[in-house]
Amino acid sequence: MRLLRYIAGRLVVYALVVVFGLTVLFFVPRLGPTDPIEAMLAKVASQGAYMDASQVDALRQSLADTFGLSGSLLEQYWAFIKRILLTGDFGPSLSMYPTPVMELIMNALPWTFGLLLTSTLIAWVLGNFVGLLSGWKPESSSSRVMEGVAICLYPIPYYILALVLSILFSYIWQIFPLTTTIRGAPWSWNLVTSILWNSFLPGASIVIVVFGWWVISVKAQTTALKEEEFVRYARLKGLGDGRILARYVLPNAILPQITFLALQIGLMFNGSLITEILFDYPGLGLLIYTAVLQGDFNLLMGTISLSVIAVATATMVIDLIYPLIDPRIRHR
Amino acid sequence: MIKVDNVTVGYGTTAFVKAVDRVNLTINDNEILGIAGESGSGKSTLMRAIYGDFSTGLRIASGTITGRFARNGTGAVTEAESHDFGQLWWDQISYIPQGSMSVLNPLMKVEKQVVDGLPKRERQGNRAELRRRIATFLEGFGLEESVLDAFPHQLSGGMRQRVLVAIAAFVNPRLILADEPTTALDVVVQKKILLMMVEIQRRQRNSLVLVSHDLGVHYQITDRLVVMYQGKIVEAGPTAGIFANPQHEYTQTLIASLPRIDGTRAEARR
Repeated sequence: MRLLRYIAGRLVVYALVVVFGLTVLFFVPRLGPTDPIEAMLAKVASQGAYMDASQVDALRQSLADTFGLSGSLLEQYWAFIKRILLTGDFGPSLSMYPTPVMELIMNALPWTFGLLLTSTLIAWVLGNFVGLLSGWKPESSSSRVMEGVAICLYPIPYYILALVLSILFSYIWQIFPLTTTIRGAPWSWNLVTSILWNSFLPGASIVIVVFGWWVISVKAQTTALKEEEFVRYARLKGLGDGRILARYVLPNAILPQITFLALQIGLMFNGSLITEILFDYPGLGLLIYTAVLQGDFNLLMGTISLSVIAVATATMVIDLIYPLIDPRIRHR
Repeated sequence: MIKVDNVTVGYGTTAFVKAVDRVNLTINDNEILGIAGESGSGKSTLMRAIYGDFSTGLRIASGTITGRFARNGTGAVTEAESHDFGQLWWDQISYIPQGSMSVLNPLMKVEKQVVDGLPKRERQGNRAELRRRIATFLEGFGLEESVLDAFPHQLSGGMRQRVLVAIAAFVNPRLILADEPTTALDVVVQKKILLMMVEIQRRQRNSLVLVSHDLGVHYQITDRLVVMYQGKIVEAGPTAGIFANPQHEYTQTLIASLPRIDGTRAEARR
């Protein structure tokens, strides 16, 4: 019963966050001075097409309908929310007319997810492993080396690292491709190797930077936990190092890291932007970039709405599984 | 069974800070020994040295602490110095910490934390059997079996402390060291825990060392009392004797400061 209430509460918060995010998304562009319809008409006029006044009005009306800009602000808002939440329809892309925005997003999404999820998870597992060990034995020389490496890595902006990797490994030593070109028949081995090959550098640029951060944060956790009374008590019970580390330190150190992981997965949509642009990787980041450059209003709304929903969903999923791993939440 | 022979204990190597100064002490079989003293008197340090916990940078500068343990049943005798007591932990020697919120692993059920410290020979074999034995043991002290399935945060302070006493006693050790086990608990719960510890000692006929700054606690359960002051033992003897006729000035002040139900009322000094 209590668990149901917890779940219901989380779902309500989730819905509120999504609606709030979409609301901000709806109003912010409308605060600006530019009117996309007038801009569009001006573009048409500048291309030398001649239209009389009634034709211009008709075009204006049909554009307003297409963009959901007809009616009062409240009507527009209501229609916007309904359209996105119920049908997931963001209209056609303006720069790649008439492909629907949703189709473009759906094509890009697997790339972004595949790249970012994989590299974030690899970095998380490696970083926690290394951080845990170096926090447990901070005096050993290998821990010191690892800590030094982590401290050097984590402040590097990932786009700088991406640029450096790209210059080193695809320009100077031409080992990896400079831009992403995926070849191979669907579901063939060639396709898989081609994807891995092309994703290596963008993936590495994310893994390396994020890894450093995980090492430092879990190391701090471990160092603090080592001084906890229950760890001392376990030692005085005569438990060996391995058991203390595995049963007392690891579970307690990893808990906050799971929360951070959820936030990271949410944030990676933004983080991916420059990486994808640098490596010409066909994901969401590249799509957002195209949308901004081309003034593709629908596409921009679509991609940003999606990242709002993705961040909220990631947080909610973690909130829902947290009780499974932390008894203090489960039995509150 | 434990002999503390002219021992000086302290912290640090380059700048050695003496905490216990040339102490002689014997812990006999089948007794409850109290160690009393104010904060910083060296009682906890002495207890750690006896337990053989040198993880905090503790160092025995001179003297020896030796133990002689006769195993229950077989009667096989182990003799060791406190530096090697580590291998006897949760077998011949166990320890009751102060039951603060964080002394049990917050993510582990009580049952697992009881089982965790047991010697290998106990942990192997039938888990259900073992659980039944633990449950029966707990029920002997008025703790329900459901406690085993609880997480530490679900227990009250008193419950947690009783669980800690039970965890230490379940292994049937020859020596139990208790470090301020009743501090920060109200007197009713305190009494329960003291009775539980006495009960355990009477059943197992082992040695219990109780470290506490609270003379009332010592008065209630200890057979013999040692009073420490500034790292030295200033008085030792049967508890009743010390309370009736304290020799050292410090002990006299301590005992005089206890409120008495038949005492005369004195005006507070202004």
